[in-house]
Amino acid sequence: MSTIISSTIRIPSTTRVLANGLRVVAHEDSSAPIVTVHLMFRAGSRDERPGRTGLAHLLEHLMFEGSQHAPKGHFDDALERVGGSNNGSTWLDRTNYYETVPTHAVELPLWLERDRMAFFLPMLTGEVLELQRGVVMNERRQVIENRPYGMADEQLHELLFPADHPYSWPTIGYMRDLEQITLEDARAFYQTYYTPGNAVLVLAGDIGAERAFELAERYFGDLPAGPDVPPPPAQLLPPAPNGARRVMEDDVSFPRIMQAFAVPAYGTPDWIALDVLAYLLADGDSSRLQRALVRDGRLAQDVDSYLYPTALCGVFGFVATARSEVEPEALEHAIRQVVDEVIANGVTDEELTGAVRRVRRDQVSELATVEERADALAYAATVLGDADAVHTVLDGYAEVTTDDLRRVAAEYLVPERGATLVVIPRPGQDDEDEEADDE
Amino acid sequence: MSETSTVAVLPPPVPGAPPHTRAPRPERWTMDNGLRVIALPRSTVPQVVLRMAFAAGSAADPAEFPGTASLTGGLLTEGTQTMTADELNARLDGLGASVHASVGHDFAEVEAVFLSETLAEGIALMAEVAIRPTFPEREVERIRAESLDAILSRLDEPANLAEDRSAMEVFGPAHPYGHPPFGTAEGIRSVPRDALVAFHAAHYRPGGAFLVASGDFDTAELRALLDDAFAGWTGEPPSIDYAADADAAVAAGRLVVVPWEDAAQSEIRIAGVGLDRLSPDWFAGSVANYVLGGSTITGRLGSNLREDKGWTYGARSYFLPGLALGGWVAETAVDVEVTAAAVQEMLGEMQRLAEERVPDDELRRAKDAMILSLPRYFETPSGVAGRFVTLEAYNLPHDYWDTYADRVEAVTAEDVQRVARQVFHPDRVVRVVVGAMPEESD
Repeated sequence: MSTIISSTIRIPSTTRVLANGLRVVAHEDSSAPIVTVHLMFRAGSRDERPGRTGLAHLLEHLMFEGSQHAPKGHFDDALERVGGSNNGSTWLDRTNYYETVPTHAVELPLWLERDRMAFFLPMLTGEVLELQRGVVMNERRQVIENRPYGMADEQLHELLFPADHPYSWPTIGYMRDLEQITLEDARAFYQTYYTPGNAVLVLAGDIGAERAFELAERYFGDLPAGPDVPPPPAQLLPPAPNGARRVMEDDVSFPRIMQAFAVPAYGTPDWIALDVLAYLLADGDSSRLQRALVRDGRLAQDVDSYLYPTALCGVFGFVATARSEVEPEALEHAIRQVVDEVIANGVTDEELTGAVRRVRRDQVSELATVEERADALAYAATVLGDADAVHTVLDGYAEVTTDDLRRVAAEYLVPERGATLVVIPRPGQDDEDEEADDE
Repeated sequence: MSETSTVAVLPPPVPGAPPHTRAPRPERWTMDNGLRVIALPRSTVPQVVLRMAFAAGSAADPAEFPGTASLTGGLLTEGTQTMTADELNARLDGLGASVHASVGHDFAEVEAVFLSETLAEGIALMAEVAIRPTFPEREVERIRAESLDAILSRLDEPANLAEDRSAMEVFGPAHPYGHPPFGTAEGIRSVPRDALVAFHAAHYRPGGAFLVASGDFDTAELRALLDDAFAGWTGEPPSIDYAADADAAVAAGRLVVVPWEDAAQSEIRIAGVGLDRLSPDWFAGSVANYVLGGSTITGRLGSNLREDKGWTYGARSYFLPGLALGGWVAETAVDVEVTAAAVQEMLGEMQRLAEERVPDDELRRAKDAMILSLPRYFETPSGVAGRFVTLEAYNLPHDYWDTYADRVEAVTAEDVQRVARQVFHPDRVVRVVVGAMPEESD
């Protein structure tokens, strides 16, 4: 097959369910002699409880610390020897583990994943936990705490979601909770969620479907189904935060404004329309926000919009960093004006067409590797219930109208549904300069 | 899954023979005006990636205005002879195209990503941007102001400060590589618009430039489109004087601690002069570096600092290629309290590689990892483009990727040790810490 992604993007796949409930998805593309093995569990930080935040992600780290027949170090070592790469990641709704290997070595990652699905717990010791607790705390320091604006997302979500909403806490966890996680917590989370019936296995790349199913059966077919998994939380749009605001000081040179809105979940028609709107508003120098804030307005160094593809609800956001001598409120006001203009007068056909093309440009880039396509299929199977539902999303963009964009803006991007975080430079640095001048 | 006793233990699979990787074979030609073109058609995804490089990096900055190259690059997409910036942006965004300029030390690059069906109009716009920018006064002032803000913002992040400072320590203030490619605030503030126009005229020339095209296109059609888009554009290759004396630059052995109040971590860089990209030792150096820190988790630095001690999220090392001179950096970020110990461990690992022969098994793993991962390099249009930009930029032989596996394979344990002594020796590097270094009495 030479053209996997043609004018309409397709990721053809076949699904088979093993007797123990493991869903296996096969996607063949022999353009490169490589195969991705992707194992996704329907478990993320949303499945944690307050006081134990960060548990799902810490467990992901622990999963790389060895299983009974692949002790510490063996996992990375064995894959490296065949030219493979591997990683894992944890987010709000899911945790994934994936390996990309040359075709000849496709059974190795399956064997390794089998081992940590069946023979992991005996290797999970206090020593291993303490080591990875240290690594994760350093990850938090490096990625969040020691980075300008690094704490902002966490605070914005606290504002947008009530404390009992599972999206209100950060996936990496709070430092105080990371300190508290016990071996028993990690074991219980693993036993609850890391079962065949709660997982999707994707084999993508230079492998036919029958061979993929045969290998899946060989390496996973005999694993016990395990206990029933608690039902996932229902889709849940949180109550409007009524324009909640917070000002956060940080060691930064320029103020930044961050706004977020809870919106319908990934894959819904409104989510797709909002994705187009995010591109229309801020992607590309001709977009409305780039012009109003950066190019013509000259208020901001940068402005961006984003939309999380999350399962319980989506999160739509704006981020803009002020230029010198500009107050963050001016950015907030300018963003509001642009959104209000869309609500009042809609958008043009040309804007819609360009935005959909830019979405497509990025989808083509993002889906150019078998690793990314495996992830897209696993995510659709996990969050939308069916790998092929990836096409519901991909095809949905062609259906979006200018009326849809105006409607979703009016429905979801109104001030009372938003939460706003204003990041300002920590006072004091100027004072120090003045003191230096005095000397 | 607690009942592990019922599950059979399967024997570990034994992989068969690895596939032989065939690197893409480009079609190359030189246009009448001297522009070199490297075409790599492949229709796996409906996308074309074009990367066009000019000898217009910061090494060519006028001495009085560091930042000229960077500002010039930033203004390419801000208005041309036939289009205002707004018109240009509207057309690019309407096509769903992305056209961006970036400026490094040696080269300025325009990278364009188009959906296949918009290639013809896309190439015309890319040429317009590259060769006919007009540097409108209003946009010059905006980009100037944004660049000044960006310089300030950048220094909010300790990792950036560590990167800049280690480059300065290794290459020295007189060498272009001793400074970030975006120049200085003073240079950006003071460079007149005329200097940008002059810089563009002198450095954005077909001679010395090259264009790599990768993705879903027909080569004959590409050739015709390029002939049309770049018709009438001429110019001899510019010459760039890397005048500074690099040998004298390294303040080897030096320790620099930049205090950072309330740092959550210390950013550590151990850096030195690396290898010339054309050096016969390049492959031995690559293998040696792979063993030391090429892989964040399994490399010696990562195994020690992360997997053994849990001090960091990761540690790695890499060579920095440069036309005039290569660099080498090992980097990590650790708990402030263990900063001094982490530096010692890193130096210890470097020394061990220089003093002790690398075990055969570890060498084998490094070579296999480098050779067998090749298929992934060539999976996507942008991956393919990147690999061939490297060849052109550093004048590497055309059969580089065809012979890559054999050249990695030929590296011996002695080669690794020899190059490690040269590049990783603790006496030949500087140590830069941004954060704090308690207990250090250096």
